[in-house]
Amino acid sequence: MSLYTAEQLEIKKAARTFVAKYVIPQAAEYDRTGEFPSYLLEAAKESKVFAMAIPKEYGGLEYDGITQALVLEEWAYGCQGMGTTLGASMLGTDPLLVVGTPEQKKMYFGSIVNGGIAAFGLTEPGAGSDAGAVKTTAVRSGNEYILNGTKCFITNGGYASVYLIVASTDRSQGLKGLSAFIVEKGTPGFTVGTVEHKLGIRSSNTVELHLKDARIPASNLVGAEGDGMKIAMLTLDMARPPVACAAVGMARRAIDECLKQLTERFTGKYLPPQTVQFKLAEMHAQVEAARQMAHHAMRLRDTTTSYAMESAISKLVGGDMVMSVTTQAVSLMGSYGYTSVIEKLMRDAKIMQIYEGTNQVQRLVIARGLLTQAAKRMQKGA
Amino acid sequence: MNFKLTEEQQLIEQSAREFAKEYLEPIVVSMDETREYPREAVKAMAHHDFLGLHLSAESGGVEAGFVTYIAVVEALSRSCGSVASIMNNHAMASYAIQNWGSEAVKKQYLPSMIKGEVLGAFAIYEQGPAPGIGPKAVVSTKTDAGYVLNGTKAYARNAGEAGVYVVTAVAEADRPKTAVAFVVDAKTAGVKVGERIATMGLRGCPVAHVVFDNVVVPESALLGAGGVQIINRTLALGALAEAAQTVGIGQAGIDHAASYAKQRVQFGMPVFNFPAVQALLSDSNTDCHVARMALYHAAQLVDDGEPFEVESAMVKSFLARFGAKLLVDSCQVEGGMGFVENMPLPRLFRDITGTTLVDAPSDTPERAIAMSIA
Repeated sequence: MSLYTAEQLEIKKAARTFVAKYVIPQAAEYDRTGEFPSYLLEAAKESKVFAMAIPKEYGGLEYDGITQALVLEEWAYGCQGMGTTLGASMLGTDPLLVVGTPEQKKMYFGSIVNGGIAAFGLTEPGAGSDAGAVKTTAVRSGNEYILNGTKCFITNGGYASVYLIVASTDRSQGLKGLSAFIVEKGTPGFTVGTVEHKLGIRSSNTVELHLKDARIPASNLVGAEGDGMKIAMLTLDMARPPVACAAVGMARRAIDECLKQLTERFTGKYLPPQTVQFKLAEMHAQVEAARQMAHHAMRLRDTTTSYAMESAISKLVGGDMVMSVTTQAVSLMGSYGYTSVIEKLMRDAKIMQIYEGTNQVQRLVIARGLLTQAAKRMQKGA
Repeated sequence: MNFKLTEEQQLIEQSAREFAKEYLEPIVVSMDETREYPREAVKAMAHHDFLGLHLSAESGGVEAGFVTYIAVVEALSRSCGSVASIMNNHAMASYAIQNWGSEAVKKQYLPSMIKGEVLGAFAIYEQGPAPGIGPKAVVSTKTDAGYVLNGTKAYARNAGEAGVYVVTAVAEADRPKTAVAFVVDAKTAGVKVGERIATMGLRGCPVAHVVFDNVVVPESALLGAGGVQIINRTLALGALAEAAQTVGIGQAGIDHAASYAKQRVQFGMPVFNFPAVQALLSDSNTDCHVARMALYHAAQLVDDGEPFEVESAMVKSFLARFGAKLLVDSCQVEGGMGFVENMPLPRLFRDITGTTLVDAPSDTPERAIAMSIA
């Protein structure tokens, strides 16, 4: 008996077919040039995969968490540069599912359903792990907000149609003064700056965003003033399990590539050395375990609002797993590993320990959760 | 026991560091981008006697000893992993020629290799299931005039730029048991260098498959000892030289991450002040230090004329497990900045990975170590 429904398996199969046609063959070249694969958005338009989490009433596919997990794994298997484009668009879309008004959803989701992509703008040069140090400001002026500041490392920033931007409406309030806004592409004063060239996920688009007296309707405020940090945390909780799902896809690809080379090389009576066999076994075991944790977190994401710890665990386990598996794969396959798609997987893997909160931040989330729970038990005298 | 470099060794190491600053640091970024072979830098290395450090005075070398050689490789690697790769592969070839070559090949190649006029390549790796096995194994056939070589060496470093290849082979008559090695001039008919292969890092060092298609070599091209001895000893030295690259690149990464952490402020203080960040840096620095101690110990054994093969295997095994992680974790300290290519760590990440490869099954260190235990 399969753990997945027939429909989920059908969608997974379709994703695999799409990836085999549009992602895998082009991945190496886009990795080499670092160009953004605009063709991919066109190819994905019909299947509405970028709208897979969006409710049907807004024109989306309304996939459940596990179905999304299967799709994300297949995209990452093909190329996590391109997978990141999909994942980051969902990162910029997901919070609206929870906190958007019907009008906001209609506008924002409509943009995605019609072939656009989203971006989430939180990070700034001085605000990385310390998200509360955001300096971008939003000042209310009549029926508008005026935004000023600079965002960096914004995935999809150069190509998004809609953005969710975190800015401070009250600098004196620190974290509690942050608010979230919908900003549309083409807003006067809203421009794209430097494009980053990266170690991995090179075909994904990572840019600086400049906001200079950018005016947006006051109705683009998401939630209330001061909700920004809460929304950012909710967004990251939602975004971490998908990163883990992608990590699983990448690691699975690394093992497949090792197997492909090994079965070509060791034929007939020759088997790979036992040490190599054991490494493969350990790598595969790690992938399987990480997938279960990722799917567990995706299921919780569908059913509860308090899953921050499981979300962090899935990302920590998945991110560290894919770094370790791909590093071992390169070492194990020697010169072949260093010159084939396996080396790309290792470069791509590094970001999985960094984005959507570094794995150090995940450890903090988990440890604080543990300590808080323990303190509560102590108070109850349990 | 004395763990300090001698005064002479320190002087040479210092000159290597100065050389790296003057000649390597200015070209390292563009070399990484363009993958251009650093011709001028290699010539300059010869001019500074780095290409003859490990060779005897009789061969025209500096006879500075292996510890000195290792110290120079580490120093150069802190600035540029590619050049150290080129130098190491060249040195393996010249070492094999010096130790096992006929008078004719020594005379023909060693002086020009020391002067940097002829680059050497030590080509051993094949893609079969075991050494000497498989359809592409390089096979030598004895003829009246000498030998004929056929087969392919895979992923040969310095390929294409090399003027001379040291090539391992199996003797047709007793395949695959009898390993032999030959010195083959790159201009010999039938030596065909394949297309340059793109590598993750160490991009200034060319890599290609080299096909030997009915390559005829004279009797004098055969290296004297059995192939196994040549391969094992040269590879054991090569593994130490490569470990010196890992340690040099790793230390450069750790140092950069530490200084970045001291100036990067988050949550109102330099991230260096966070105990978890210190732990990342401290684990890396500890691994790097332990590797360096084991490396220099093994190198000293070489200079003392003691067996060093097991110690070399241990260094290789240790760095296969922890080498690449030095940069994985240094990048982590820098977060997003550790992932963008206008910062140095991504290059170091790609370079260090190339120094910790294990080309199983011909090149696994575990067996030698296990066999040495009581």
